[in-house]
Amino acid sequence: QAEVEETLKRIQSHKGVIGTMVVNAEGIPIRTTLDNSTTVQYAGLLHHLTMKAKSTVRDIDPQNDLTFLRIRSKKHEIMVAPDKEYLLIVIQNPCE
Amino acid sequence: MFLSLAEKNHYFSFFQALQGWRSRLSATAREGGTVSTATRAQSGLLEPAGSAGVAVLATGGVASSPGPGRPGPLQDETLGVASVPSQWRAVQGIREETKSCQTASIATANASAQARNHVDAQVQTEAPVPVSVQPLSQYDVPRLAAFLRRVEAMVIRELNKNWQSHAFDGFEVNWTEQQQMVSCLYTLGYPPAQAQGLHVTGISWNSTGSVVACAYGRLDHGDWSTLKSFVCAWNLDRRGLSPRQPSAVVEVPSAVLCLAFHPTQPSHVAGGLYSGEVLVWDLSRPEDPLLWRTGLTDDTHTDPVSQVVWLPEPGHSHRFQVLSVATDGKVLLWRGVGAGQLQLTEGFALVTQQLPRSTKLKKHPRGETEVGATAVAFSSFDPRLFILGTEGGFPLKCSLAAGEAALTRMPSSVPLRAPAQLTFSPHGGPIYAVSCSPFHRNLFLSAGTDGHVHLYSMLQAPPLTSLQLSLKYLFAVRWSPVRPLVFAAASGEGDVQLFDLQKSSQKPTVLIKQTQDESPVYCLEFNSQQTQLLAAGDAQGTVKVWQLSTEFTEQGPWEAEDLDRLAAEVAT
Repeated sequence: QAEVEETLKRIQSHKGVIGTMVVNAEGIPIRTTLDNSTTVQYAGLLHHLTMKAKSTVRDIDPQNDLTFLRIRSKKHEIMVAPDKEYLLIVIQNPCE
Repeated sequence: MFLSLAEKNHYFSFFQALQGWRSRLSATAREGGTVSTATRAQSGLLEPAGSAGVAVLATGGVASSPGPGRPGPLQDETLGVASVPSQWRAVQGIREETKSCQTASIATANASAQARNHVDAQVQTEAPVPVSVQPLSQYDVPRLAAFLRRVEAMVIRELNKNWQSHAFDGFEVNWTEQQQMVSCLYTLGYPPAQAQGLHVTGISWNSTGSVVACAYGRLDHGDWSTLKSFVCAWNLDRRGLSPRQPSAVVEVPSAVLCLAFHPTQPSHVAGGLYSGEVLVWDLSRPEDPLLWRTGLTDDTHTDPVSQVVWLPEPGHSHRFQVLSVATDGKVLLWRGVGAGQLQLTEGFALVTQQLPRSTKLKKHPRGETEVGATAVAFSSFDPRLFILGTEGGFPLKCSLAAGEAALTRMPSSVPLRAPAQLTFSPHGGPIYAVSCSPFHRNLFLSAGTDGHVHLYSMLQAPPLTSLQLSLKYLFAVRWSPVRPLVFAAASGEGDVQLFDLQKSSQKPTVLIKQTQDESPVYCLEFNSQQTQLLAAGDAQGTVKVWQLSTEFTEQGPWEAEDLDRLAAEVAT
């Protein structure tokens, strides 16, 4: 329990990180540092996108699998670490 | 005359003869014999019997008296009918012609028609439901811990790489077509209002961004209390848009000075009048657009209303109230109740003695204790915080939650409170417009008759920076809804100036000339749905809709941070 908190706190306190959240396999957020409406929006949209990306990689090469997903936008970068049961989403603002 | 005996005998024998004739006829009739022979015989005897043949009659009658069973002379007899053909009357022949008519044969044809199956479908927009709070679901702690252990290292590595990466330096993607110049899309006007010499005093875009409405009135001094004015609306998305013919026109008995569309209802618009009233119209009902009015009660403003704003009600976020400010120093909050009446729910009054003494203000002459409010802007970050622009040239930071009662003798059904919390340094003349930045919680702009625009931070009284934009008055200033560092100002010289603080803080990036004869531009509004549109109304009664170049509509990277930095460095 404490380990979970500590890990999340470490990630959240990294340079430029705006928000962190953990989403389960159905797309329901479990832990989050952002407000509810934003979390729900991110969770739903990114869950779908991750599933799509995963199926794309598998279609191209069935031996391959998705390890990491990064979306770069004008304002920030969204990083998704997928897993069988969970999804870790981190939003960072890379200011140079 | 006396008849002689002989004559009597004559007549008597004549009568006897006649009777005998009668009886002979009846006898022959009884016997079935032919009457004709008898009559012929008799007629032979009778014909020559004129007046002189009476004796012959008598003799003839007596001579031929046959048959037994003959009735006596005084008995009734029935005689047959004798017919005498008319010799003078001609038989009228009937002329006959045969005609026939026949209708022409009717051509018939059989055809069948069948109504196609149709389906009724209804579309109804619903007010957006606020996102329900999701309870964080139960999870399996050890497995979550294991997962995090697995991914943590990778994520940290990526975060670090990202922080130091220069891969995307200067890399910008353009998704939309680039527009280089600012161009005028539409020039809209209402000829009857322009013929009366009315100015466009207020402009507003509706909640969907497709309808622009303008209010006509006069801003310079004149006899405007009896002037009829108009509120016109054009729907820019309609195909048959005619610039001289608004899609909705409302006639108003008094000059309208300001206008504001409802934030969620696309057809409701509120306007403030010269008479101090606040009216709400529904533009989708052309026959009776007036929805609510304040009427002229004790509560209404006693001076012209300078600005109206829609605010969400504190408890219900989908219902809205109207806030109006006027130069009589009152800030009033109205709610529509019942049959078209706007009722006062909250009120504030600005009194000189109650203004916070953060800056030195000119002493007002005795008798004038009200401070006229000319402009209002609400903060996008704190819905109870607002900035008031005053006639004295100093902006005031106010709050709806202020509790102190106002020292005013103005009659009101609701207790008036004093809202001011902070007084900022004044302009050189009355303020005509204030605007709070949608991107930074502390910054706001104010523009006034001294031709300057001041950028204030809510944390300190003196302005952060002051820009001179015009030698004449400035009538409106608005932050851009998309670019944090851009604002637009309308000047008395007839142009709209667009400032980009990123490029240059001294001179305008784009200068749009709205009027040819330098008549002032009185109001301008950005369209928050279609962000490339900017509408401005001028003293000639025309509304021009400008399309801005792409650099004004797309946010560059890190602009919000630039704004923060600007605020921070100018403040120090």
